Amino acid sequence: MKATHISRRAMLKGLGSVTIGLPFLEEMLSAKTLAGQAEVPIRAFNVFFGLGIPAPLQTEGFDNVLEPLKPLRRKLLIMRNIDQIRCDESGINAHFDGASGAFTAEPPDGEAKAGGPSIDQVIRKHYHPDGLPAGMVPTLIGGTFFRRSRVSRYVHSYNEDGTVAAAMQEKPRELFDRVFGAIEIGSGNSETRQKRLKRSVLDSVMEQYKHYVGANSPLGAASKSRLADHLDRIRELERRAYGMPEHTIGAPPLPPRSKLAHGGQADPGGEGIDMKLDDLTHEWRLMAELYALAVKMDRARFGSLTFLAAGERLRITGDYFYQDRKVYTFDDASQLNATGSQGCSHEWWHQFRENKPNQALRAHAHMKMREVAYFLNLLDEPESLEANGRSILENSLITISTESGDGRHSNVKRELSGVFHAVTGANGRFKTGQIMDVPAEGIDVYNTMLTTMGAADKKLGPINREHQSIDRIRA
Amino acid sequence: MKSIAFHPRFSILIIGLFCFAGASDSEAEERTRAGLQALYDFSAGGGHWIQDRSGVGQALHLRISKPESVRWGKNSLQLQKPTQIRSVQPAHKLSGSIRRSGEITVEAWIAPANIEQKGPARIVTLSQNIAERNFTLGQEADQYDFRLRTLDTGNNGIPSLRAKKEQASARLTHVVYTRNRAGLARLYLDGKQAAEKTISGAVHNWNGQFRLALGNEFGADRAWLGAYHLVAVYARALLPKEVEAHYRAGPDAKTPQPSLAVSPSPNAKLFTDKIAPLLAEHCIECHDAGTRKGKLDLSRRDAAFAGSSSGEVIVPGNAAESYLLESVITGEMPKDREPLSAAEQAWIQEWIDGGASWPIEEIDPALFVHGGNMGESWTRRLTVSEYIQSVRSAVGVDIAEEARALLPPDLRADGFSNTAYNLNVDLQHVNAYAQLAETIVAKMDVGKFAGRFSKSRRLTDDDMRGLIGKIGKWMLRGPLKPYEVTLYRGLSTTAAAAGGDFKEAVGLIVNAMLQSPRFLYRIENQRGDGTRWPVTEHELASRISYILWGAPPDQLLLKAAESGALFSDFGLDEQIARMLQDPRAIRRSKDFIAEWLHLDRLNNLQPNAEKFPNWEHQLAIDMRQETLAYFEDIVWKQKRPLHNLFDAQFTYATPKLAAHYNLPAIEKEIPLARYDLSKQPGRGGLITHGSVLTVGGDEASMVSRGLFILHDLLRGVVKDPPPCVDTTPVPSRPGLTQRAIAEQRIASAQCGGCHGKFEPLAFGLEKFDGVGAYRETDEHGNELRDDGEILFPGAAKTASYHSSEQLMRILADSERLRESLTWKLTQFAIGRPLVFADAEAVDKIHQKAQKNGGTYQSLITEIIKSEFVQTTLTEADQ
Repeated sequence: MKATHISRRAMLKGLGSVTIGLPFLEEMLSAKTLAGQAEVPIRAFNVFFGLGIPAPLQTEGFDNVLEPLKPLRRKLLIMRNIDQIRCDESGINAHFDGASGAFTAEPPDGEAKAGGPSIDQVIRKHYHPDGLPAGMVPTLIGGTFFRRSRVSRYVHSYNEDGTVAAAMQEKPRELFDRVFGAIEIGSGNSETRQKRLKRSVLDSVMEQYKHYVGANSPLGAASKSRLADHLDRIRELERRAYGMPEHTIGAPPLPPRSKLAHGGQADPGGEGIDMKLDDLTHEWRLMAELYALAVKMDRARFGSLTFLAAGERLRITGDYFYQDRKVYTFDDASQLNATGSQGCSHEWWHQFRENKPNQALRAHAHMKMREVAYFLNLLDEPESLEANGRSILENSLITISTESGDGRHSNVKRELSGVFHAVTGANGRFKTGQIMDVPAEGIDVYNTMLTTMGAADKKLGPINREHQSIDRIRA
Repeated sequence: MKSIAFHPRFSILIIGLFCFAGASDSEAEERTRAGLQALYDFSAGGGHWIQDRSGVGQALHLRISKPESVRWGKNSLQLQKPTQIRSVQPAHKLSGSIRRSGEITVEAWIAPANIEQKGPARIVTLSQNIAERNFTLGQEADQYDFRLRTLDTGNNGIPSLRAKKEQASARLTHVVYTRNRAGLARLYLDGKQAAEKTISGAVHNWNGQFRLALGNEFGADRAWLGAYHLVAVYARALLPKEVEAHYRAGPDAKTPQPSLAVSPSPNAKLFTDKIAPLLAEHCIECHDAGTRKGKLDLSRRDAAFAGSSSGEVIVPGNAAESYLLESVITGEMPKDREPLSAAEQAWIQEWIDGGASWPIEEIDPALFVHGGNMGESWTRRLTVSEYIQSVRSAVGVDIAEEARALLPPDLRADGFSNTAYNLNVDLQHVNAYAQLAETIVAKMDVGKFAGRFSKSRRLTDDDMRGLIGKIGKWMLRGPLKPYEVTLYRGLSTTAAAAGGDFKEAVGLIVNAMLQSPRFLYRIENQRGDGTRWPVTEHELASRISYILWGAPPDQLLLKAAESGALFSDFGLDEQIARMLQDPRAIRRSKDFIAEWLHLDRLNNLQPNAEKFPNWEHQLAIDMRQETLAYFEDIVWKQKRPLHNLFDAQFTYATPKLAAHYNLPAIEKEIPLARYDLSKQPGRGGLITHGSVLTVGGDEASMVSRGLFILHDLLRGVVKDPPPCVDTTPVPSRPGLTQRAIAEQRIASAQCGGCHGKFEPLAFGLEKFDGVGAYRETDEHGNELRDDGEILFPGAAKTASYHSSEQLMRILADSERLRESLTWKLTQFAIGRPLVFADAEAVDKIHQKAQKNGGTYQSLITEIIKSEFVQTTLTEADQ
């Protein structure tokens, strides 16, 4: 599978011949120029992947599931033995608890909020109390995910009150539009947000009309043609109200329309959906490239990017290759001999046993690391080198998080202990180049990171807790 | 081929359209196939298979698991040892058809081996295992037992309906179970009812994957031993007399095969499909009973075959000798009109050579305006008025002002603006629906609205899905499919992902539902096998409420529908009676009269100011009020027959309109007073309302008024004038009245053929001027008359009248006008023009309604009970 790579150079070249809807070029160039002249900017992003890496597999170094991170190992600090058990919320499973707790140190507050801010937002507030420079996206949140019953499954950047820090962009065109299609006025984004929500409504309306003009429609021929007319008019309305920039020769490519399920169709009541590996990775890589481009163009300095939701349920099929080596053939439903939710890769985590090969789980986790590494590499390419000689990857604080340290729901301690964590060096602030046995609670690790980032005026987690600094992670 | 007579005018040969909804009297005397889905007569005499001989859908054959356990007999199969005889595939056609109809009959001619077998021992079962079934007919020792799964019974179909003890015995027995949509279940033994019980709940929860089996349960030991002689399953509750007839017919009686069903001959079909519309379009204008040019009447069978003054025109079996064909080939006919196309000429030739079948007595051109067949079924978009009412009902918001400002007005077609095929949609609609949805949500107290359906305000999956299901069922007038719940659930998660709260999420969901095709259209199932299928309970509830109220069903109606009560005569009558008490029923009936008479036309009335210096627009508004108040008085206060609209001797008028009409002053001036017209010359009845009289324009045109009466009141048809005819209205002058001008036209050879059919209808109105004021002389001093002769469409003879009062009485007494009222209200109710194929059903409505008083209430009730509302003519999948 080969994704179309969008480079910063191509982007700039393209901008010479086309206006992508707005006058952001000047803004962008000046930001870049400034970045080249001054110190590298503070950046903080989170990259999340669903379903985690069971703690025992984290001890195998880069020879197994962590293999795809090996080329980047000198620029990463992989932390083992970090616990999130304080994030367990009584009565529900650890998928979204653990996911919410990663780099917030709080369990979720209901379905649509985290218990507190995420680390990237605390840093953003500290360094930009009055907002980011005009023209930047204050916080960029995107991802390729499907299970969506709770926000903490897929959003990983939260305001101080635990609300999501920005609207989730879940399709390549949405992300493209968010970054390159509109100028933010100050930090307010209510208009954009409303537009996005309206568009979601329109999308759902369109889906309903599509049903009634499709093969399973209960309608007769004449009625179908009437509803087909209606659908055409909706599409016309969509073009007029939400028209995307036209693709012009020489311009950077406008991402194609997403072919994956989104919205409600992506999550039919937790039952899971069928997914071809190539389709999944194709869209994810497009998202990753657009997100990375936004960072390289200095359009975004804070936010989060998600590759698969916490507790994701997909029935994945397809041959999985890594560096031309066939690692595994995914065929979850057949291999699990089940349908619906029970035929999803999620079940491999439930079936994890330390004394078993866990072959399917390993292959899935390996694939996730490949895709996480894909994004990280984009920020480590030669064109990502900054004035201080380091890449954006090295200069940024990129936290890599997941949800649980074990997929078995029967034991909360086991499930929320030893949760995989990794960070980049943040311009020399943290140790890199090792897999470190921490062991500590996430809350102490995160607050140590905040202190190290110079943003210690805000502590994550309960205020009255005595903080323990985890100095071994500091450079 | 046998004939049935339901009305002289529509007396036709039986057209073998299979009506799924019921059986006629004649069918009760033999085994019926109406509703039959599966039939096993065990006539193979050997082998491993039991053939489904129903001839319906995909055959559902049954395989004998252990052939060594059975013994074949003549038209029977004896199960001597435990075995199972089952379908290899799921019994989709049984589950699907019974789920749709909500009715079932399971019939078995059996001889149990003993009266000890229990379990119940499975005689006929549509199930999966010992605990999950759609239905099971079983034997529990000396009792027969029937389990039926509904929404109100368990998956095991318990409680069952069980016959009394000692009624099962080891002899050949006819066992029949029936259950109708109202839930009334009956068990018959040897033609007599043995048990009865209400098994409530719809059968929507039937599992389409279950298989049909005889002799045992799937995966369990519930063996039944004995002999099968016949097993049949119907998606209809057979009537007691049908069950009795089946018993009398015995186990070996043959069931008619589909091919034996009565159907029209190809030649008769050619007549109704092509020839009758062709004659109506090209010939009857001059050759009907009233005109008979050349003494030829082609509108009636007997007259047509009698020929013209020149002799025979149709020689059955010999087109070459038929003058009808010759005249159209030579171009002699149609006279002064476009010649027939080659295809039309070929149809005539084929029809005559094929025997010239003429299966109807009379061709009514009104039935063939649209070609005679119903054509395509269009789903109905809500009209602007229905949209406003639907929003009000769904979320309690009055959006009338905004909706009327944003939505394009619905355009009239075939006399009404709710004609489905014309309710098209453009960008302006889509844009307006989106804007209105936002406005509606902004006007709502979303939290309070959601609270009507659930106390939870959580955005979690289960809670939101539950809430969406409830809101959707209410707003979209029926339960949501899982994919729909998922779709709306996606909106709530999107809201959450953008930092939205519960209220915002629900607001987005409501917003999307307000733009859903299920809200904006009256979505119903239209696919099937090309026959009429009964509508579902929610479809029926919506049809009834939009017909009676122009608004969606209320909770009581939905409850009646879901309980099955709506499918019983009593329950349906009860709901109709209740709904007719609601003010919405009055408003809807006024919508009908306003549409029928096109009262919106009054909004644009601008009479010539020089000719009518006293005219003011308020009079047009008052005229509309007059007609609506008059209609309400007759229909709702007095509940008089609808035809009294045409001759009732009273009216309503504002002081201004009363002065305009020159009505005597009343003591107390009130905004809209009731006036007795019994002593008022000329005026009285709907046609003498200014709202109707103004159709004649400033000159009080005989043409316009006559055409209005002919087309809109009497369903008459005349064609447009031929090309090159000067249609400029001729003004009256001293010594020449409009009537005199009309008489000149009628006397003209070129114009009289058509003008003679409609202008005399307006002669009785000459004393009303262009704006409806009464006068004895026109502006030139010419004396005016109100006598004349009227020729009803299809009639051979005219009727004379001496005054406008007498004209009104003739009209009110006319069967043609009464039928027209039925046709117009039926058309308004079902949202499409009526055609020949509808004639029989409309006539049934008409006869029953007239029998019940001919009131609006009786008429609308019969419309609701008719096949137009109770069934859908499905389209067969290609």
